[in-house]
This record gives sequence, structure tokens and C-alpha cells, in this order.
Amino acid sequence: MGADQRMVAHEDWTSLRTAETARMLAACTRCGACFDACPMIPYAPDARGTDAQAAVAGVLDVLTGGAGDAAARNWISVCTRSGSCNEACPEAVNPMLMLRLAKWRANETGAIAKRDASETMSRVKVFARLSFTEAEQGKWL
Amino acid sequence: MAVNTFWYGCNMTRHGEIIRLSQRILEAVGVDAAPVGGPGACCGSPKESTPRIAEGMADRTMEKFSASGTPRIITWCPSCHANLDDFMGQTQEQNFDSRHLCEAIHEQRAQLAPLLTQTVKARIFVDRHVGFQGRVPVNDVIPELLGMIPGVSVVDHPYRAPSYMCFGLASVPGALADVQRTTLAAMRETGADTLVTIFHSCHREMIGLERDHGIRVVNWVHLLAEGMGIAYEDEYKAWRNAEDPLAMIGAERIAAAGEVAVKKLVMPELTRPRLV
Repeated sequence: MGADQRMVAHEDWTSLRTAETARMLAACTRCGACFDACPMIPYAPDARGTDAQAAVAGVLDVLTGGAGDAAARNWISVCTRSGSCNEACPEAVNPMLMLRLAKWRANETGAIAKRDASETMSRVKVFARLSFTEAEQGKWL
Repeated sequence: MAVNTFWYGCNMTRHGEIIRLSQRILEAVGVDAAPVGGPGACCGSPKESTPRIAEGMADRTMEKFSASGTPRIITWCPSCHANLDDFMGQTQEQNFDSRHLCEAIHEQRAQLAPLLTQTVKARIFVDRHVGFQGRVPVNDVIPELLGMIPGVSVVDHPYRAPSYMCFGLASVPGALADVQRTTLAAMRETGADTLVTIFHSCHREMIGLERDHGIRVVNWVHLLAEGMGIAYEDEYKAWRNAEDPLAMIGAERIAAAGEVAVKKLVMPELTRPRLV
């Protein structure tokens, strides 16, 4: 990215999410191409074999605060941002971002349990104490 | 004048030598860059299951970068890179440009070429994932850079692992083991003897294969350093593959880092089960 001093597109992440959600809801035709292209479906037992269009509808439900169905929640949970969906999407919806934002919404509503990241930064710090010199800790952290 | 920033992310604190080597390679090709990362320069990704916290962390990082006057952020981590593009740069003033490390080195490949004086005999398979390629063509740029090292031959194979790096796969039952099995099979098929990782989480997950599968596992930055004749030690790999990681780390360093913290936070990671 090389756009110096560019305009800020959104006031904050909430407004960005709101705008992106509206754009996705308008652009998505629920064709299911993103689901069919996803390489993670084999690892989602509740989503495997489900109807692709229904799965997309379920994700859009979660994205807007609904509970979705088990297939949609499972698909959202196993998304690892492969991006194969973006290549498959005929409407440039950005399904990878759609699934990611749906996961955030599901974490907020409780539809999908939050990942426990409580020790992540403590682990980062202790590895820094093992791996960095004191001078590097002072300069790099 | 403010120098470029090498934004190494947070989980790279496991790999101090990659940060040192990256800085040294950049400097050698004419790019000064100061490493910055850890919890104080977070993109928010580790906390994104609570987006408001993630946003606060990311905002502070953007304010820090902007206040520093750095002209360029050189990224390492694909999560940081994507968050900078998709969220941070969309909601905060950005008075710097950004490149991934491999792009920053590739831009200077004319300066790099004469520095690659050491022969490294390796037939390498690059651990390529599909997810980041659309933003930065890492799957093309990194093999091209490594192919400039005398003695290195890059094998061609169509396999591309899912995800953008191994981090996400580790939490999906069966996924990482399948990627490791498929990668090993592709290496056998092509006669590769060295697995080259692109990202830190892949390195973390793949180095365990070195112990039981008769291959060498290195990061792409390690291999470039070898071609330049720069010495390094991959301590994390040594710890992960040691029978007794605590003994390998050593009592003095454990005491300095905090024995309780090392045993609680580091040891479970170093001794976790191997998947294949």
C-alpha cells in the first residue's frame, strides 16, 4: 500500500463494519460460490454436505446479529482466511471479510464462543525476555 | 531523519534471530529499518474476538507510527499487514507507506545479488499458503529471492496449503496435520530436502517435522542469511526439538525470563504433541 496522507474512509471500526455489512447484504446474491470454493469445509462437520446457498444465508443472518444455523456457525468458525471464496465470488462481495465480520458479530452476540486469548500477550512477553537481549527489549518492544 | 520501521508483529518475539537477520539484510541492501513490535505495537488481531479492544490496540499503534514520522512500515506478519490495509488505514490517518519485507528486499534485488556469495546446497520446497498471495505475491517473490542463492534449487509443485499461514489451521481439528502430511508427500514427490517456511506461525508448526522426517526446516530469512554468509542460531527450533527444552534454554536464561512464566507459558508450547 503506498497511499500517503489518504482520506480516512471510516470514523472507526464500528462505522466500517456497518458500512461493509450493508454493502455485503446488497451485493451478495446468495449464489453459494464462496461456500463451494472454501477449502476448509472438509473440517466443518456441521457444514459439510449442506446447501451452499443456505449456508451463505446463515452467515448473513449471523452478520446482522442473528444466531444463524449450525452449518453457518461451523463454517464461520473454521474460516482461516484462505481467500479462495474471494476468487470465486462473481459479485466482489469479499466473502472472506464477510465471514470474518460475521465471526466478530457472533463473538459479541454469543452465537460463537470467543477464542481464549487471555495468555497470548503474556506469552509474547516471556518469549521476548528469552529471545531478546535487554537492549533489544528496550528498543524493539 | 526518521528511519523506516520493521514492524515484526507480536508472536515473532519467539524468533529474535529472524528480526536481527531481517534488519541486517535490509541494511545490507540499503534499507535502514528499526524493529518495532510486541504488545505495544499490536494490530489488534490477537484480541479480535473482542473488536473494541482490538480497535483500541490498533489505534494506539497507528498513533505511534504516525507520531514517529517513519516514512515506511515494512511488515512481517500477514495479520498485521492485512489489518493495516483493511482496518487501521481505513479509520486512522496514515502518513507512511507500507511494504511487506519480501517486497522491500525484492525491490533491492540488484543490491542483494552480489551479496549472495555463499553456496547453500539445498533442494527447497517452499511452504506456500493461498490466503496472502492476493495481497502480496509472497509465493512468487520469496522463491525468486531464494533462487538467487548459489546452490539452491527451488522445486515446483502445485500444492498450496489453505489459510494465509499455519496459525489458524492449528485450531481446526485435523487441518494442520493434513497440511503437514501433504507437504511431506509433496517433498518426497519432488525430491526436496529442505522445507522453507514463509511466516512465523508456519515456522513454529513445521520445525517439529525436522526431528522425525529426515528433512531440514528453515525460514526464508534464514536461507537468505546463509547465502550472505551471516551466522545465526534458530534457538526456538532447538528448544522445540530438544528432549529437555528447559535444559536447552538453560537455568540462567530461565531465571532472567521468570521461571514460573516459562514453565506456565513456554513449556506447554514447546512440548505440545507432534501431529504427524
